[in-house]
Amino acid sequence: MSRVGVFVCHCGENIARNVKVQEVVESSRDIPGTVVTADYPYLCSAPGQQMVIDAIEEHDLDRVVVAACSPQLHEPTFRAAAAQAGLNPHLCEMANIREHCSWVHRDAEQASAKAYQTVVAAVERVKRSRPLDPIEVPVTKRALVIGAGVAGIRSALDMANAGHSVVLVERQPSIGGNMSRLSETFPTLDCSQCILTPLMVQVSRHPNIELLTYSEIEEVSGYVGNFKVRIRRKPSFVVAEDCTACGDCAEVCPQPSGNEFDMALSSRKAIYIPFPQAVPSVYTLDPDRCLNSKLDSPTGFRVLACVKCDEVCKPQCIDFDMQPEFIEREVGVIVAATGFDMKLGQQAAECGYGKHVDVMDGLEFERMLSASGPTEGEVRRPSDGKTPKDVVFIQCVGSRNPEHGVSYCSRICCMYTAKHALLLRHKVPESRAYIFYMDIRAGGKGYEEFVHRAMEEERVMYIRGRPSQIIEEEGKLKVLGVDTLSGRTVEIDADMVVLAAAMEPADHGEIAGKLRIAADTDGFFKEAHPKLRPVETLTAGIFLAGTAQAPKDIPDTVSQASAAASKGMEMLSKDFLERDPSTAHVDESACAGCFECLAVCPYGAIERKQLLDAQGEVFREVAAPNPAMCEGCGLCTVTCRGGYIDLEGYTDEQVFAQLGALGALREVIER
Amino acid sequence: MNARIRPDWDIRDAILEMGGTDAYKCYQCGKCMAVCPWTHVESVVFPVYRTPQSVKLGAIMSSEDTDEIEREVTEVYRCVGCESCSTWCPHGVHMPDIMRGIRRILVEFGSYPSELSESVSRIHSSGNPFGEPREKRAAWTEGAEVPPFETGMDYLYSPCCVPAYDPRAVNVAKASVEVLKAANVSFGILGDGESCCSEAIRRAGAEEVFQEVAGANVTAFSEAGVKKVVTTSPHCHRTFDQEYGELGANFESVHQTQLFARLIEQQRLEPKNALDKKVVYHDPCALGRGCGIYDEPREVLKSIPGLDLVEIPNYSREYSLCCGGGSGGVWLERPKGERFSDIRVQQAAATGAEILAVACPYCLQMFEDSVKTMDLELEVKDVSELLAEAL
Repeated sequence: MSRVGVFVCHCGENIARNVKVQEVVESSRDIPGTVVTADYPYLCSAPGQQMVIDAIEEHDLDRVVVAACSPQLHEPTFRAAAAQAGLNPHLCEMANIREHCSWVHRDAEQASAKAYQTVVAAVERVKRSRPLDPIEVPVTKRALVIGAGVAGIRSALDMANAGHSVVLVERQPSIGGNMSRLSETFPTLDCSQCILTPLMVQVSRHPNIELLTYSEIEEVSGYVGNFKVRIRRKPSFVVAEDCTACGDCAEVCPQPSGNEFDMALSSRKAIYIPFPQAVPSVYTLDPDRCLNSKLDSPTGFRVLACVKCDEVCKPQCIDFDMQPEFIEREVGVIVAATGFDMKLGQQAAECGYGKHVDVMDGLEFERMLSASGPTEGEVRRPSDGKTPKDVVFIQCVGSRNPEHGVSYCSRICCMYTAKHALLLRHKVPESRAYIFYMDIRAGGKGYEEFVHRAMEEERVMYIRGRPSQIIEEEGKLKVLGVDTLSGRTVEIDADMVVLAAAMEPADHGEIAGKLRIAADTDGFFKEAHPKLRPVETLTAGIFLAGTAQAPKDIPDTVSQASAAASKGMEMLSKDFLERDPSTAHVDESACAGCFECLAVCPYGAIERKQLLDAQGEVFREVAAPNPAMCEGCGLCTVTCRGGYIDLEGYTDEQVFAQLGALGALREVIER
Repeated sequence: MNARIRPDWDIRDAILEMGGTDAYKCYQCGKCMAVCPWTHVESVVFPVYRTPQSVKLGAIMSSEDTDEIEREVTEVYRCVGCESCSTWCPHGVHMPDIMRGIRRILVEFGSYPSELSESVSRIHSSGNPFGEPREKRAAWTEGAEVPPFETGMDYLYSPCCVPAYDPRAVNVAKASVEVLKAANVSFGILGDGESCCSEAIRRAGAEEVFQEVAGANVTAFSEAGVKKVVTTSPHCHRTFDQEYGELGANFESVHQTQLFARLIEQQRLEPKNALDKKVVYHDPCALGRGCGIYDEPREVLKSIPGLDLVEIPNYSREYSLCCGGGSGGVWLERPKGERFSDIRVQQAAATGAEILAVACPYCLQMFEDSVKTMDLELEVKDVSELLAEAL
């Protein structure tokens, strides 16, 4: 016979207001197996926990039920207390009489009756609990970072500096991401490349970082501490080790087209380096633009239409026969930092984007402002190359627009638009800047002051409202809108219009799918808890950094990147990881091997196991959950037609006992 | 205007109950005002984005001062329900619903423009806004041999009150019937068996009369065995299609330009007579933004040999400028300088077109008046008239 202790918490007024705690304590005494009952105003307090510990020792309890709040909150607290008293923590059970009773019922009688039932059910359940020990998993001491923008770079450097090996994968030919495109950064106006390129160089030289650029994640398998990653290195057709980045190849290449690094405001050749400070500093041959690709050669460049680059390359590093390379790495933790793209949707089209060349998006204007950009930092109208005088900036293009764009605020636009206007005024002192805004969201350190600097010192004209239409008239862009502060319509003849387009996640479910992590409705990676676990995912060992998780500015991105690195290092610093033993177990003697469970398991945790007979012959295949990968969700247990899968801590016996207790009581009440 | 607002929760609740709940979606970005046709009128400032805020504060009809009430009523009835704002609103605010909610309160108080209240009572008593005898509803068919609707016919042709009674617009109904006959469409009319669709008075706030008159139409259509209706007015079509369902209607509705375009595509109509003229098409609000029908009327016009179809730059399709006739505006006497139709016919004339083609009886009336008063060399014609002439 079990010896169960029942402890009921008042949670101040939270529970006691609506649940008659004394009555619950009194009635619980009669539950078979209950040896001791007690109550306390705040059980989670140190004296409250001590009361539980003392009772376990004094009454030689072998099971404990704590009737209090949700197990989400304090199950770890009381399991730790039980462990301190020498009890296996899994023999301590929570009965949730706060969220399930006092908070949701008005009638104290009914709330109390339900609280009592909940306690009875918990007692019946805990009587059937088995002691469980945490599962220990070894850790591969290497991290994978996906994406080498400023988030990925910071995460990789933090972990590498702490002595861990890091594999950093970037799909573009150079690391640096969107930040390397920016001109100057708000609110301090540091030159973006000046502060980023030292980090890029550190990455390239770091002995602990293996940098794989122009590479993409093919497949991720395994589990926390033991991931297996297959990476596809796209052929660059240039032998990186030999390339001296002399640029002779690009000079003779006959195939110019838009340079995506400059948002296609400049051109590059089919063989190119994205920007002068690119890391690694090697050329890449773009197969989509090279003349050779146009020939029918399914296996690569075997039929060559043009070999000009090869002819001039002194180190002879052009290799038209280069094939994709597949690299496999084992890692313990993964940081996903896949970044953002600009979203140019219907509202951008409303503002004339794609129709008038002098309407550009924020990143295009960044390139124009950048000293290394297509105009070497000079502001010029794309249509005629002239210096613009009147420039209209429009905020919230697509953002905060659930009807024609996205519902969220992109968070950085208020600030970068203020910066754009300010830089325009610096570069073209006779220019006039207008900003159509809805609300100024300048919540960062020094941000509000920066916006006021744009307003007061640079005399930027802020107009609160959305424009209706942009009409091209005699070489000008007539912007029609309203100022809602004065309630009047506004008309501006602009030379150029810059749109603060919405940010959208660069990953459209591909990486999320391979990592088996969730994305929210907007496609941003979903954190495990918005407040308390903001850089973790629900898949153990995978962490998030930067704008892949939500729109954010550089300081927040870098902070989150360091946080993700620190979470990763917490795991990498251990030899073994402890995992919750609430995992699935298959009754191998009964399993029919239908593998429906394998089909539904979201974590890929179920494997096929061969059972051998005495002669060593396979006589049956059965399902075998890997406890290191199982997250204990229970999908397999309900899918198994024979009911031969049980979840430790939630066995059929326990759950039926719990339900039975509730059902039996209902009969009593009805009678 | 009262200098101080004292939030009135009862008025707020009353408007919300009357269908103004979209006010809560509004975040005062001002897009509605930016795209509102009133921005084309220099002398009037109509900050429509403030209306949802006034609803939320219950700051409507809160004064007892008659001048103030009159100012408020004028303001609320500026909205012609053209749906330009709701087309572009980032937050899905359907401003005509908010306006309708406020107007229902005004109608209840009896504080609404007298021209409107007269139209409402005429529709109530004789089924048309002109106060013409109900029994003369089919008088327009004289000499046209239009069959009465019988069960089993494919379509009920519903001509709208304006073509049924207005001496100029009668020609539109006749032309429409001519086209339907030419394509051997099986159709008939209900004559005095139907009343005004009441779309306009609903938007003007006369909900009770709408319920009664529209409800009678639903019963009449149902008793006659109507399965499909073809309308001349996009306003009839919109309310049949989008609102009559609330009253239990169980019939389909098409606008005649949709049907004509389909008949042309099926080669059941083959326009032969050339019209060597430049024609500009005006998108009626109820047809374009209201029902998303932009292409069919253009296809009909393009099928006419020789016809040179041009567009009003910057202000066609979704950006079309309202004629001012919607939501009862057609019955309101607006001072010169405040008439959208004057601005619109000037835009049309600036394209060099000789004919302004419309697909809505209100637009026809509004533009004809404007062309006359402004003395412009521009003919206003319904698409059906141009098509009938080409057959």
